[in-house]
Parts: sequence; C-alpha cells; structure tokens
Amino acid sequence: MSGTNWIGLYTLTQREVSRFFSVYRQTVLPGLISSALYIMIFGFTLERRISEINGVPYTLFILPGLIMMNTLTNSSSNSASSMLQMKLLQQLPDILTAPLSSLEICLAYIIGGTVRGVVNGVLVMLVGVLLVDMPIEQPLATIGFIFLVSWTFSSLGLLLGQLADTWDQLAMMQNFFLTPLSFLGGIFYSIHMLPDWAQKISMVNPIYYMINGIRYTVLGIYDSPPLNSMIMTIFMTILFTVAAILVMKSGKKIKQ
Amino acid sequence: MTSPAIHISDLHKSYEDTIALRGVNLTIGDGEFYGLLGPNGAGKTTTIHILTGLVLKNSGVTEIYGKDTVKHFRFTRSQIGIAHQELPIDWFFPIEKLLYFHAGYYGISKRIAKPRVEELLERLGLKDKRTSRLRQLSGGMKRRYQLAKSLVHDPRIIILDEPTAGVDVELRHELWDYLRELHKNGKTILLTTHYIEEAELLCEKVGIIDKGQIIKEGSPRDLTKELGKAGINIHMIGWCDELNEALSSFSFTYDDNRLHFTVKEPEADMAKIIQLLSHHNCHILSVSAEKSSLEDVFLHLTGKGIN
Repeated sequence: MSGTNWIGLYTLTQREVSRFFSVYRQTVLPGLISSALYIMIFGFTLERRISEINGVPYTLFILPGLIMMNTLTNSSSNSASSMLQMKLLQQLPDILTAPLSSLEICLAYIIGGTVRGVVNGVLVMLVGVLLVDMPIEQPLATIGFIFLVSWTFSSLGLLLGQLADTWDQLAMMQNFFLTPLSFLGGIFYSIHMLPDWAQKISMVNPIYYMINGIRYTVLGIYDSPPLNSMIMTIFMTILFTVAAILVMKSGKKIKQ
Repeated sequence: MTSPAIHISDLHKSYEDTIALRGVNLTIGDGEFYGLLGPNGAGKTTTIHILTGLVLKNSGVTEIYGKDTVKHFRFTRSQIGIAHQELPIDWFFPIEKLLYFHAGYYGISKRIAKPRVEELLERLGLKDKRTSRLRQLSGGMKRRYQLAKSLVHDPRIIILDEPTAGVDVELRHELWDYLRELHKNGKTILLTTHYIEEAELLCEKVGIIDKGQIIKEGSPRDLTKELGKAGINIHMIGWCDELNEALSSFSFTYDDNRLHFTVKEPEADMAKIIQLLSHHNCHILSVSAEKSSLEDVFLHLTGKGIN
C-alpha cells in the first residue's frame, strides 16, 4: 500500500457518518425540535415587541442564527464526542494501528462532523422555509457557508476531543466557551442593538462573523461586510484543521 | 538473505518518571512462534505497542520485514494483525459490520473482505452472533471477536497480547488449536502471556523480559534444560558403599533409603541410574521424576513468579 489509503479513509468516514445516523434521535431530531421551539417561543412572542430588524421581521431575522447554532453545535460535538468515546472505550487503538496516516484519520473525523453539521443546518433551514416561509436569497452560497462552518467546527471538535481526557472536560469546553460565544454572536439580535463597548467585544467573536455571513446569504442583510465573514470563516477553518492534524501527528493525549 | 519478520534493536522508552524499556533487542524470524514472557510492568505491552504505532519510542530500531515502523508505517502496519489485551466496547454496530470496517482500514474493500469475514465468523464460532453488538457478547466471544478482527486483513504477523486472559479452559484450548493452525499455515506469531503453560505448549522460542530488558531467550526446552532444576527421586533398599563410586558422575544425595538426583534431563538419565542400581543388587521400591518448567526458569532468572 502506498500513497493515500482511500479505502481506509472512506471506511472511517463511513463509520463516522453511520454512527451519528444510527442514533438520529440524539443527533438530528433534537436540533430540529429546539429550532422549531425557538421559532415559536422567541420568534412569535417577541415579534410583537420587536417588529423588524434591518427591515426583516424578527422571526426571519433569528432563523439564520438558528441554522448556524445548530450547524456548529452538531459538527463540533460529533467529532469531539466520537474521538473521546473512541479513546475511552478502547476503540482508538484499532484506528491508530491501521495503515492510516494522521491526515487521513483527521479528514475522516472532520468529514463525519461536517456531514452532521450540514444535515442539521439544512434541516433547520427547511424548518424555516416550511414554518415561516423563509426566503433564501442565495441558496448555493447558504449551503456552501453551512458546509464551511461545519468543517471549521468539526475540526475544532476533533481538536477538543483529542485534548480532552474526560467527558467533564469536553462539556466544560463546550458549555463555557462554544455556547456563550454562539449566543453572543448575534443569533437573536443585531449587534447595532448593543452598547458601543459590547459591539467592540462582538467584533472579536469569530461566531459573530459566521452568523453575519449566513444571514447575508439567506436574507441579504448584514451588520458587517460579508467579505469579512468569509475571510474570518476561511481563516478559522484553516486554523482549526491544521491544529487538529498537528495534534494528531504529534500523538499528544492519544499516543503515549 | 530475507529480513526477519520483526527486528528490534536497543529500544528505549520512558514514561515521565518511569523507564519502561532499557534497550530491548529482539529478532523474530518469518514463520516463528515467539512468546514474550514477563510480569506486569516488564515492558511486553510497551514493546508491541511501539511496533504497531500506539506508543512513540524514545530511541532504537523497530523493523518489520526490514522496514522501519515509523518511516514505512503503511507497509509495516499492514503486515501486522494485533489482538489487544483490553476488550473494546462499541455500542453502535454489529460485529460483522465492525469486521468489515476493520478490513476497510487496511485498504480492503467489502467485496474482497467478504469471504474472509465469513470464514472467520464460521471458524471462530461467531456466525450466529454476526448481528449482535459487542456488549451482547460474553467475555469468551469478545476474545474470539478480537482474534477475528486481528486476522481479517490476513496479516503475515499476528501479535497477541494476553489472548487467553480471562477465558475458560475449554475456550483456551480451542484458541490454542487455532493458533497452532495459523502457525502451521506460515504465520509469524508474537504472543505475550502470563500463562507459562501457554508459552511452553505453543512457542518455538520464548524471551523473558524483566524491568524493560530481555534477559534470556531460547526454546522452552533449551531454557528449562539450561536453567531448570529437574530431579529423580528413588526409594530403594540395599545401599552399598560401592554405589558412591558408581554414581559419582551424577549429583545426588542419599538419606534413609531415599536417593535424590539433580539432573538436566530426567528421561535420559533415569534408565542409566536404574541400570546401575540394579547392577549393584539394589531393590527399587519407587521412582519419580521432577521435571523443571519455564516457571522455574523464570523464577531463577527474575527471582519472582510470573503472576
């Protein structure tokens, strides 16, 4: 065997994708249900008080943010939990002793998480279309953006899964960093509704750019230039992908 | 000259403040059945984990068929099938699917792996359990699955880390038969075990590892001959002083009609001793032989038992 182990890469990817589909009640349905609840509770109740943001009804305004929140939560938790589970349940040695390179192993995990992120993101998008007749200005760009963000957070999840030793550590990283950054990234509001100092803080939150970017592709509105969103997302994608591969290559927390 | 299946030279490994390997040297020829014997913490598992890429070495040479295990990892890992000591847990997939996945990691498509998977499920008595999840299998079945997994890509070298740990006697004998069959079919087998009997019965060569070094190597027979303490006990009547001269080529003690000989090979020496005693009109009441085992060798070399 020389060059790339394509069958190995395909098999591990297939395993990762089949894994989350086999437990779709845990990995696909919750995002759909919670998004529908957000639309009904936040959207329909708050729409009476906040009529429009940037010329868009409030329910429509929050939908791209919900798509993004589902996408990044699912993609990151897929690769993170799968990696940690394999470590804790003694499954990882099977992968590490196979003729698979660090790059191939990382790609399989990242693609697995990306697929879950895209599936969840697109399903929430469809919920928006069905429930509130959400128009999508640039469908291809929206799906492309969902894909890119899924890849970014799947890579981040893989990185966290490799570094974590316990479920507690992983939950801490997700609950104390990822969830607050998502909520503070402008899912439910425009940053122009915040005081100046809070707007400045939002500018260093990468998730803000991602929500801003997808809001532009879906509704055509934005708080900051869409190009900045694209640049930031590509930068984060490269950063987390390279970091995940380097950690895998080094064997840190995986090989002794 | 063909390269050995496994070649390890001056292998060192430390974990933080513990030195696990202190210059392990080991060469296993193609088709050989080799046993690595040692107590817990001796360095057995670290050695095989370095060979398979699970542990990073500090220094030393590790080669499979002459190729470095780090530089040529695709080649070397595809030559090895390993059955780990720890039994894995998987909640998601039936064991048949897991075997196909495992073949896939080694670059073998489902179509090509199918006959091999079928053969292994049949041979290892797992055919009826093909749709079961690992958690539904008994300990013995999990061990068989572990062995099937290590063989699914038809490797030339099989590494078995305590393959019969925790299995009942019947299954242990079944697994031994299967390992003998694999060896007969030309596989190179490296076995680590706590069971001295397992090594004595199966291995052509054993290496005794202690404190991160291989301290002795050889066939079980040669090791027991060289380092074991075998003996012959004879209960007799009719001792005479001439016997001291006649038996002078043996190491023996005589007390109260009982003779004890310390010998290397009881079977070979017994006939000669009985003949000498009969020649001097001694009446032999009983004869028994004490055969030394690898356990004695192990005790002699390390000063402690294996378990």
